[in-house]
Amino acid sequence: MENSSLLSIENLTVCYGKETALSIDHPISIEEGDRIGIIGSNGAGKSTLIKSILGLVKYEGNIDTSLAPEMIATHMQSNEYTDAMATRHIMEMVLGTKISKNKKLQELISYFEFEGCLKKKYKHLSGGQKQRFTIIMVMMQDSPLTFYDEVTSGLDFETRQKLVEKMVAWYEKRDVSLCIVSHYYEELEQLANKLLILDKGKVIDFGDKEELFLKYCGRAVIVLNYSIEKVKLFQEYKKLASPAHLIALSCDTEEEEQEITELLIKNNMDYRRSSTDIEIIYTNAKDRFYGKGA
Amino acid sequence: MGKGLKMVEKKRKFFTKSMIIYELRNVTGNPFVHIFGVGMPVLMSILITRMVVSEISDAAVAKMVSTSTFLGIGALIPLATILMGYSVMQAQDLEKGIPERLQLFGIKNSISICNRAVSEIIFMIGAFFIYFLAGICFIGIETPVFSGGLLYAVCIFIFSVFCFAMGHGLATLIKKFSATYCGVMVIYFAFMIFGGMMGMSYENMSGWMQGVAKLLPVTYFTRDFYHIWTGEPYDFMPMVQSFLFFGAVGGILLFAALKREEKK
Repeated sequence: MENSSLLSIENLTVCYGKETALSIDHPISIEEGDRIGIIGSNGAGKSTLIKSILGLVKYEGNIDTSLAPEMIATHMQSNEYTDAMATRHIMEMVLGTKISKNKKLQELISYFEFEGCLKKKYKHLSGGQKQRFTIIMVMMQDSPLTFYDEVTSGLDFETRQKLVEKMVAWYEKRDVSLCIVSHYYEELEQLANKLLILDKGKVIDFGDKEELFLKYCGRAVIVLNYSIEKVKLFQEYKKLASPAHLIALSCDTEEEEQEITELLIKNNMDYRRSSTDIEIIYTNAKDRFYGKGA
Repeated sequence: MGKGLKMVEKKRKFFTKSMIIYELRNVTGNPFVHIFGVGMPVLMSILITRMVVSEISDAAVAKMVSTSTFLGIGALIPLATILMGYSVMQAQDLEKGIPERLQLFGIKNSISICNRAVSEIIFMIGAFFIYFLAGICFIGIETPVFSGGLLYAVCIFIFSVFCFAMGHGLATLIKKFSATYCGVMVIYFAFMIFGGMMGMSYENMSGWMQGVAKLLPVTYFTRDFYHIWTGEPYDFMPMVQSFLFFGAVGGILLFAALKREEKK
């Protein structure tokens, strides 16, 4: 059975002054249960897309949804609250409930280990605590569609990893749709099942993560750290576009993959094998969009 | 504008106890309102009346001067709590994008503003309670006639409403904490100087200063309210005109701010 559409976007244009920040020509649909990773470099239009869906910026075109406005939850890139009082009071006011009387809220607070921060003022929270504070309130909304805009940016590796692990575990049990903007592709590999690739306000591609991988990378990809020796060794094999410090080898068949890995083992070279590498999808999709790739 | 979602809005009650308590915490967390809205009027009224009264030998005149000074300085409370306190807090919130964030949680800006206005009034009533307690205990102000006391309360309330309109307009137009703070401080001290609270009475002002002072409601609180307080006959017209002028300025600022927000 096909999932029903929660939100569809068509012919969307957002302009900031004379500059077009976002232009979506082909229809995009967010369906029930979708976990969409929105990727692209700075200025690609990721946050603009979210803001236009939320009606925070003026736009031309259509954004149609079956959802009532209060059924969409959002974690923005910047989330600020008053400094004058303890976070528990802000939380209770925003959610319109008492922590002591709400089991679900207590569960979420404990799940995100936030109990110790409830008496602190917002300005005294660390970056990770601030993010958890908003995430708790966003998750409490239990919305069918939630937007997370760079929820882990500015956090150290360990805090980031811990936060994403918590989010993955939380949403694993829930059949809700998520749109996650992130520059950290490893997070999206855990959280997203679809990708929306944006660049300079244009949609490079949108689709199932695995289908996009197959389309741009093949069956699997072997990623090595760049060296001249490796370039020479694998000059006969099909290479994919990759960041300068890496070499990405495409494997269209199992035999080809076996051949490459045997060669790598024989030469005692480290490598990483993937069939979901978002960084390689992104690089190759962009190259192909601009007519540079295969 | 496209026909998609306009804004994430949750259906909430306009006034709720929890929102008013939250806003009251917000208001009381602002140190400016304690300093300029409670501490300063109380201290100023005690110090100035003691200073002035020490030079007056006639007890009845001394009481009249004390009461008159006390009633005038009382006008600083709405100026500090509403005009300064509210506008500074609102500008800080706007600068940080807090109203936008709350809107995404379904709390409309209008709900926040209305609940904040109620909490500002509650705080101001508290400040007046302390002020009058100090006035009764340390200054020995005259007991008003019923109409005098009532008119003082009504005038202070109307003045507060205009202060709120002006404060909201300024904060929304400026949207920066520091610039708004600077702007309202200038207004606050200008009102004190022209209202005759900084040592220069209306009679001692030069022509142009008197012209400005006549336009400000605080002048009538300082100079004339004693007559109303004690039920003496009084020509209300100049005072009404000053209120209308102040209200018009506040209204224009509020209108400009709302128009600008609407354009967005």
